[in-house]
Amino acid sequence: MNLNKYAALAVLGAFALFSFPSQAAVSGWTNWRGPHQNGTTDEKGLPDQIDPAKNLLWSYDIAGRGAPVIANGKVYAWGYRGKGPDLQEVLLCLNEADGKLQWEHAYNDYLSDTVYSRYSVGSPTVDPATGWVYLMTTNGGVKCFSPDGKMQWEYSLMERFGRLTFPNGRTGAAVIDGDLVIVRGVTSYWGKQGPARDRFYAFNKKTGAPVWASTPGVAPKDSSFSTPVLANVGGRRVFYAGTGDGNVVCVDVRTGQALWRFQASQGGVNASVVIDDGVLVTIHGKENIDAAEEGRMIGIKLPTTLPAPGEPQAILKDKDLKLADGKEWELWRHPFAMFTSSPVLANGRVYQVTKTGVLVCVEAKTGKLIFTQKLNNEQIHSSPLYSDGKLYLAFPNGRFLVVKPKDDGVDILSEVELEGGVLGSPVAWNGKVYIHTMSKLYVFGKANGEKPDATLPAAAAKPADSKAVALQIVPGDILLKPGEKLELTVNKIDQYGNVVESGVKADFAKFIPATAKVKTQMNASVANNAITADAGNVSSAGAFKATSADGLTGLLRGRILPQIPYEQDFEGYDLTIDHPADGEKYAFPPLAWTGARLKWEVRDLDGNKVFRKTLDRVLFQRAITIFGDPTSSNYTVQADVMTDGNRRIKGNVGVINQRYFITLIGNQQILEVSSNHERVKESVPFKWSPNQWYTLKSRVDVAKDGSGVVRAKAWPKGDPEPEAWTIEVKHKNAHKLGAPGIIGFSPQSLKPVYIDNIKITRN
Amino acid sequence: MKSKSFFLMGGVSLLAASSIIMTQTNCGSTDSNADATVVPATNDQAPQATVSTPSTTSTATAPASGGQDWPVWSGNGDGNLFSPEKGIAASFDPGKFKKGTEEVDLSTTTNVKWVAKLGSQAYGNTTVSNGKVYVGTNNESPRDERHIGDRGIVYCLDEKTGELEWQLVVPKLGAGKVSDWEYLGICSSPAVEGNRVYVVANRSEILCLDTEGMKNGNQGFQGEAKFMVDKGKEPLEPTAKDADIIWRFDLREELGVFPHNIASSSILIVGDLLFCTTSNGQDWSHLNIPAPQAPCIVALNKKDGTLAGEEAEGIGKNIMHCNWSSPSKGKIKGKDAVFFAGGDGVLYAFDTKFEKDEDGFDLFKAHWKFDCVPDAYKKDEDGNEIKYPAAEGPSELIATPTYYKGNVYVAIGQDPEHGEGLGCLSCVKADTGEKIWDYRKIQRTISTCAIDPESGLLIASDYTGYVYCLDAATGKEHWVYDTKAHMWSSPFVADGKVYIGDEDGDLTVLPLKADFDPKKDDPIFETNMLVPIYSTPVVANGTLYVGTQTHLYAIEAPKK
Repeated sequence: MNLNKYAALAVLGAFALFSFPSQAAVSGWTNWRGPHQNGTTDEKGLPDQIDPAKNLLWSYDIAGRGAPVIANGKVYAWGYRGKGPDLQEVLLCLNEADGKLQWEHAYNDYLSDTVYSRYSVGSPTVDPATGWVYLMTTNGGVKCFSPDGKMQWEYSLMERFGRLTFPNGRTGAAVIDGDLVIVRGVTSYWGKQGPARDRFYAFNKKTGAPVWASTPGVAPKDSSFSTPVLANVGGRRVFYAGTGDGNVVCVDVRTGQALWRFQASQGGVNASVVIDDGVLVTIHGKENIDAAEEGRMIGIKLPTTLPAPGEPQAILKDKDLKLADGKEWELWRHPFAMFTSSPVLANGRVYQVTKTGVLVCVEAKTGKLIFTQKLNNEQIHSSPLYSDGKLYLAFPNGRFLVVKPKDDGVDILSEVELEGGVLGSPVAWNGKVYIHTMSKLYVFGKANGEKPDATLPAAAAKPADSKAVALQIVPGDILLKPGEKLELTVNKIDQYGNVVESGVKADFAKFIPATAKVKTQMNASVANNAITADAGNVSSAGAFKATSADGLTGLLRGRILPQIPYEQDFEGYDLTIDHPADGEKYAFPPLAWTGARLKWEVRDLDGNKVFRKTLDRVLFQRAITIFGDPTSSNYTVQADVMTDGNRRIKGNVGVINQRYFITLIGNQQILEVSSNHERVKESVPFKWSPNQWYTLKSRVDVAKDGSGVVRAKAWPKGDPEPEAWTIEVKHKNAHKLGAPGIIGFSPQSLKPVYIDNIKITRN
Repeated sequence: MKSKSFFLMGGVSLLAASSIIMTQTNCGSTDSNADATVVPATNDQAPQATVSTPSTTSTATAPASGGQDWPVWSGNGDGNLFSPEKGIAASFDPGKFKKGTEEVDLSTTTNVKWVAKLGSQAYGNTTVSNGKVYVGTNNESPRDERHIGDRGIVYCLDEKTGELEWQLVVPKLGAGKVSDWEYLGICSSPAVEGNRVYVVANRSEILCLDTEGMKNGNQGFQGEAKFMVDKGKEPLEPTAKDADIIWRFDLREELGVFPHNIASSSILIVGDLLFCTTSNGQDWSHLNIPAPQAPCIVALNKKDGTLAGEEAEGIGKNIMHCNWSSPSKGKIKGKDAVFFAGGDGVLYAFDTKFEKDEDGFDLFKAHWKFDCVPDAYKKDEDGNEIKYPAAEGPSELIATPTYYKGNVYVAIGQDPEHGEGLGCLSCVKADTGEKIWDYRKIQRTISTCAIDPESGLLIASDYTGYVYCLDAATGKEHWVYDTKAHMWSSPFVADGKVYIGDEDGDLTVLPLKADFDPKKDDPIFETNMLVPIYSTPVVANGTLYVGTQTHLYAIEAPKK
């Protein structure tokens, strides 16, 4: 199987085909909440005192907002360094013994809404079976490394799957189970996955091939970084997680089938859940559905029967209480507001700190409140660690406490203020306690301690009544170049999601869901389990239904994106839909363009078909639309652009070239080059009038030393192109590749912006 | 009294890091003397409350207690959270909920006249006028089954009973968090004059309402049926329980304002004009100002809601986060002036007269401006710019400027979401904009000052949770009290006492005296009200109003 069919590697030069290790014994703390998935370690003898002057083993100077993981003598930490355009997120591999750097990879942020350096709010994950390391960067770069630091595969979820970014930067950690690595994000992709929803994506951990996507919730108000918690239910492998739409969800790990949801909140559920003997405890800090108070801790009785494959998701509780009021499932509740920090479960008790800094202890099964004690004036992301009768607690103001919980409160064993403030969570392994502050990674304790042998819960063996019920196509979501051919693996899966037969022969037929609003097909054909894209250099998107000889079926979704050179003038679109607000005729945007459907329309403007930013919803006042191959590089983008407006109100419109925005800003009368407003952001004054077309042109050139120049010019459409570039922006660590796209921003959705005659050419 | 036995190291370290500076310039005593002829602001209160326009009915109230209404934020618009009333309750018991409900069992309370259930969040402040109490909240405790879902709400309650008379219901803008954050409700404190209520609603509209609601028929604006429902939904015929909108002014559509997170200002009434901050600010990125040319403060004609004027000082270009401060009023050399605490960290004194620019836009000019951000917060020791919102860096103004005896007081701060950080309370001479003193021990704050004219003591508080007692004339510190909880609300002084609400839901009453020693002396009273207190306690007609996130308590001292 050719890896770079899925992963954008070829141009990076970092790609190397290593034989994927089989079961390698991995010893360590391989995921941020540990083998019990609840912040408790079995290790005893960890320090009672945390004191940089006394028991600091080593520290590493890099800011971080998450937790490191430890495997086979190596510490994998995620941090960020540098300022302005030079800031990068860094995945570090350090010697466990002395903190010496073994290797690192650094990444630019791009096209994101992350602000105030809210980076590395999450954690790498090590595959306990192989020792390979997985990370999702803040802007959705999913990356797989071998322990020696060789990149195996990667994706930009943003460019490939339409993953959105948010100012809070909360990212979380990947989860690895069986052959899958599972990541999450709010995506606005295409077709059924077009509307922005909090989704989970599973990839084959060896190859990066997309296996499934899951949409277990409803329209989200927040993003969420709740880490999925793995469990077994009657032969099924499932995970539980909070979502940005306020649900706690249960999803089939092997197929992505949404099994049930319990809507706990009106806003996001960001904490991970903990489970104690059939009781799931979830917390949130937002509005409740059924009471006028913010935040809650809830004990939920876990369902033991699940919808069969193909059956609809069970709704245990919904915002519409008449649909499902949750009373059958809710065992107990407490009115504590706890938002982005995850609870600890130890000896049947849940420990967690509220938003206002109160440590709460509750018995998980009964909900009995054991104690509350105010320890700080706030808590943000940091989650407690429990070891042998002690809790390790870190706070945003830098305080780090070791406390001994009792039945009536805690004894404070040690208290220290660490440099930098703490959003990350303490973790422990082999006699050492790790805490990453916004200044450095601290490691306290002793050189050697216990190495508990607890592992993540194993999946149940295949039940005796296993029988094939469906097909699973791998990859299940494809992106092809025109003319490209790709082998497909067709698996038969049983009612538990187990693959029971691989390499199944199937017939593929083009498939349009009956509910699809945009009824299009993928310009491709499938023969002998291989799909070949048509040669025409146009974009298309659609699905294929695979049917095996014994009548089992499965779906394949895919897109074909044109290669450079490419032009789009929208003249080929038939305007057949009546706009509900103004009655004008319009056409939907190309289906293969990510996140475009509700944000742009093809309309007629004075006899010319143009792309117009929609104004229907303020929520969609800005549109960032990717329409090209994410591995593109060294190209020029040109487009005609225009804003409606007046002295008070105008819009912004521009193009995306290799992860840079090149935008004419109406209200500021500038031409701007930016990538993230805190990273690259330079502009020159440029007077441009509303209701007049301008031509905007940009190119990005990257030198051998990795630096680059973004050049752009704009001129009134129809005038001769000016010789000189209007703006040239140098970037030391330039973005090396990235998909072409467009950006339109109508502040408060008051005045439309337009774009037309897009031309992408090679430099 | 509840004990909170922990040590706020973060706060302490910040204090230690900022060289504690309390500077004094221009000889404070001279200034005080010069201003001695200025009528104490508090004396303006009664007349301001009863200013009437030809269209209004008489509003004079003569409550039995001999107290007075609190018809606008800060009582009379001077930005001073002080009431001259006496006999205010110094203690009370907020009681317990009826089991399994969110209803307070009044039989378990002490000194509580009534309790009104609010939504799940309430940031605005209570106002009281002519037998009615007004408070903004969200719709998480729906009062009318026709109005369900996330809405901005203003309740008009009966002052005697707390019963709902009518409510304003405003659907969300649908912008997500960036311009009309979910569940924040209406954060503006309703301003009442005569039979009109002026409020900034969540959709960034200035609304003029009839104090009687729909009870006396639908006057002015006739589109309430459509206004009250989400876009595209069937109109709802207004009932007597709905607000009667007289006129509306959309800051977004009319002026291109880009409100950040929520429209927050309270309206300042100056004669026939309404002054209002626009909440113009950054977009979700916090690093991009979509409407730098839009005004940050405007004036409307109160009669019909037409635009009277706007600032053109270029504040929009330098917004750090957004403009949430409410304007206040006072005098400059004997003439009306409006003080505006800008989202750029600058305090502006505006004329209330306007001039037309070349395009015919009515602009009002600043008499002076004073940068409330010390230079030391802008650059580090090496001369590098300290980036907003770093804890040790610059901050904007969110608190309301307080006009008192010819001086203006205001402290810098940030959205609580940005955390704790350095603050600075400035005292500026109103006539000239010159600094008299500043006080840098205070941390970031969104709280407005309270100054007691009898003692000359100034009470300030910060987000970290400290309450400061200073000499208003000199800035000299008398004491600092630690609530050990974040504070969003402002201190209130009346009847020789300081009323403080905090995020833990603690309502604390401290003695208003210079020799109070927080290390030795206990507060007069402290109680926990179960949910955070983000609004400011106020006093009207002998009653103390304490609004938590979910309940409004009307508290009275026992009758002697």
